[in-house]
Amino acid sequence: MAITILAPAPAANPYPASEYSDEDSEDGGADLERDIDMRPSKRAKRSAKDIVTPGETVTDDPQWMRGHGTYIAPASTEIVATVAGTIQKTNKLLSVRPLRARYTPEIGDLVVGRIVEVQSKRWRVDVGAPVLAGLPLSAINLPGGILRKRTETDELQIRTFFSEGDLLVAEVQSLHQDGTAGLHTRSLKYGKLRNGVFMSVTGTGGGGGVIRARRQVWTMDTEHGGGKVDVILGVNGYIWISKHIEVTTAETAITRMEESVSATVYSSQNDEIAPETRREISRIRGVITLLVQKGLRVDEEMVMRGYSTAIEVDDREPGESNEYLGGDRGKSVLNLLGGR
Amino acid sequence: MAPSSALQQVLLSPAELSYLHTSLASTPPIRPDGRTSRQFRPLIAESNILPGTNGSARICFDDGTEAIVGAKAEVEKSRPVFAAREEEGEGEEMAEGQGEGGERGRNEWVDISVEIPGMRDDDSMPVFLSALLSEALLADGGFTRKLWINRRFHWKLYIDILLLSQPLSYPLPLLSLTTHLALLATRLPRLKSEKDEDPMFDDDWEASVFLFPQSQTAKPPATLLVMAVSSNIIFDPSKEELAVAEVVLAVSISSSPSSFTPESEMDVGERKGGSLKLLAVRTIDPPSRLTHPGVPNVVNTATGGTATDNMEMAMAREEGVWKSPRGGAKRKLIAEMIRKVLEKGGVGEEVLDGLEAVGLE
Amino acid sequence: MPLDTSTYSLALLRLDGRRWNELRRLTAQISTQASADGSSFLSMGNTKVICTVTGPSEVKAAPGASGRGDEAVVSVEISVAGFSGVERKRRGKGDKRIYEMQTTIATAFQATLFTHLYPRSTITISLHILSLDGSLLATCLNASTLALIDAGVPMRDYICATTAGSTSSYSSNDEKADPLLDLNGSEELELPFLTVATCGTEDEVSVLVMETRVQVGRLEGMLAVGVDGCKQVRDILDVVVRARGKRILEGSQL
Repeated sequence: MAITILAPAPAANPYPASEYSDEDSEDGGADLERDIDMRPSKRAKRSAKDIVTPGETVTDDPQWMRGHGTYIAPASTEIVATVAGTIQKTNKLLSVRPLRARYTPEIGDLVVGRIVEVQSKRWRVDVGAPVLAGLPLSAINLPGGILRKRTETDELQIRTFFSEGDLLVAEVQSLHQDGTAGLHTRSLKYGKLRNGVFMSVTGTGGGGGVIRARRQVWTMDTEHGGGKVDVILGVNGYIWISKHIEVTTAETAITRMEESVSATVYSSQNDEIAPETRREISRIRGVITLLVQKGLRVDEEMVMRGYSTAIEVDDREPGESNEYLGGDRGKSVLNLLGGR
Repeated sequence: MAPSSALQQVLLSPAELSYLHTSLASTPPIRPDGRTSRQFRPLIAESNILPGTNGSARICFDDGTEAIVGAKAEVEKSRPVFAAREEEGEGEEMAEGQGEGGERGRNEWVDISVEIPGMRDDDSMPVFLSALLSEALLADGGFTRKLWINRRFHWKLYIDILLLSQPLSYPLPLLSLTTHLALLATRLPRLKSEKDEDPMFDDDWEASVFLFPQSQTAKPPATLLVMAVSSNIIFDPSKEELAVAEVVLAVSISSSPSSFTPESEMDVGERKGGSLKLLAVRTIDPPSRLTHPGVPNVVNTATGGTATDNMEMAMAREEGVWKSPRGGAKRKLIAEMIRKVLEKGGVGEEVLDGLEAVGLE
Repeated sequence: MPLDTSTYSLALLRLDGRRWNELRRLTAQISTQASADGSSFLSMGNTKVICTVTGPSEVKAAPGASGRGDEAVVSVEISVAGFSGVERKRRGKGDKRIYEMQTTIATAFQATLFTHLYPRSTITISLHILSLDGSLLATCLNASTLALIDAGVPMRDYICATTAGSTSSYSSNDEKADPLLDLNGSEELELPFLTVATCGTEDEVSVLVMETRVQVGRLEGMLAVGVDGCKQVRDILDVVVRARGKRILEGSQL
């Protein structure tokens, strides 16, 4: 069958208000005991799984400092939530993490971005944040040695480094007063992206989507002769999956390495990629799509687990290998994931 | 040809375009989401969502685009000019028309309007889309005939098509399928009066009649988007895939009513068997033509190459560099694309069957 | 067709069987559209609205656009579907009433959202009216609130709105007129009514619109009923948001 048509999910169907109240009363019944337990110190001991909604007082204890997603009402010590989400406590800082929101840049974030505008001395980069980020010409490695002085020729040739549409991986270096982020690519890990596919995952927060993790970039071995594949999870929800390219000059001196890498760092030419690798890249992309659809977090562990489960499901099924992960196949992958 | 402004330009890097193009051109094509070439993205569909309309439907595509269509019918007096002219010049035909099922409809009895957020009603995209959709609907004249009440009155059918999301990819298939679904669900009150009396209708909505009864083979049209990269034909392209397409066709089909012989229709492709009828084919300017080509390493000063005037030469030699396609489509390829839609057990049939199943629930 | 007010005084029931202080059935959903930053579907009786929120995002400065440097601009677009009313009718984008509604909604949210967190950006609220049966502005405001919460835009509190009317018209000069809550389309045609929106639980009125004539004496009662209705609406919306949040959190644990 070429087409699958699904009935709208129950959530997508207008259901009567009475159902809410039913559900509510059921929950109320079930939660009754816990509720009573919690009551004496309800405000002080909120669990991380509690949801607060805008306008709700999180705490009136003045010892807390307000963080993102909260505000202090004038002439009071109450910290009030401004978004719907979960409470996060970092030492004495109280913030509410929204269930879903646009990416807010923070210094040190690894992001994947797309150039949307080229100006005389900088690029403007879409990183999925409310405003475009900036990448100054001074914050990139110039080809031909890292310590080379920037010249006027470089300014004139700004488009040979990055031009509109190009994808890059960078780090947030600074945050300006007006909310714009300044990026830099002054590391061998960063630079122009090629040899792969891009995908964007919207709606971070609430435990779903890409989260700030220990490792955002890793190389994984794929099955079915796919070879090694690099995955870059930008904190901003932009993801790049590409063929892994071995750095051949790994044994040479550090300074030499800088030079040899910079020869291809601004290339927009793909290397030869075998169909097997392309298939596995599609499969990894499918796994991430699946994770996002189910509101699961996207990090190294989940992607690796999802991928091996997808391979398992694929091998189990008769017939030709198929990397599509929609419909029933997606469901069985998720069931296996959940079963562990 | 569709105006290129009708296609939202997706900004992709030359490396991405090259990767996508090579993947889609390999045999079998490797799509970024792992689908087979004729597989559609799953879609969410429901009909009869608005009780205030004669028929309505909503479809959500996998990429998050969403459309709602509502059809509303009003009784309208047929223009006397029409009747008068018929009496004078075409009296014979009118006499014939009073026989069984010979009523004639007029195209102005159907009013299709397309609304796209962020665009004015007279922007090229909504105008073009509504023209394309009405063209398919009115193609064989069978549809307007259903709106005929008697010689003095007819139904005026307003079809309002609303795109609820930003036009992320080319919205034509989404709008067309939603319209199809809404028309399948459209019901008109049952006529109680006879002959040329002022029309009286049955108040009971349960007794109303479907515009497209399930028992009949005639079904509203549907327009599908088909694209090709080298010789691979790909259905339901996503916006990334469209960005590297070499040929894009909008193919309008409908199931052919048994009373019609295919020969009498404006049949473009060779149709062998099958119960589908080709209504219209439009080529759509692929957005890939407007993309910037990639720069091969050898001429890229940033990668240690030297700039040269002879870009063409360098481009021709290098693999893995994006080149925007030039030139039109081969006729053979276009014929093959149409055949794949129309063939028995082909994509067109499956799509129409799938949509019909939605209405039955 | 004049509204038969005599039956009301007999049974104290309105034409659709509600009592004076009863809301129509209010249903709502969040995150109905994956591609939007935030979206909602809300119906109050037979008035149905779909709302999508885009942003906060940097928009290419359109000529003449008021690009405020220090805070986000809230812009509202309302489109009324041709099939929304009883009669099929197309409303142009330049309709004065629509324009007024857009401004009212934009102003209300400009004051309640923390726009200063997103300088140089725009938050676009698109409202699609699918079905029309009274309390349109109130439904639009409620739908916008939900979609904005879904988009994760910080706000001081929910903006919740409802309409309140009076059981007899201005001309009848009835001293004993009762206030009514949440008017439907036919009641709106016949009776004086106002739309009121409050921000939060403290009865802080953020929108008050009245386009009909009514005796000053009745106004206070109408307002009180309206504000009370807003509280009921807030409770319902809050349940919807929490239910959605719970589902997201449950889904994220495997």
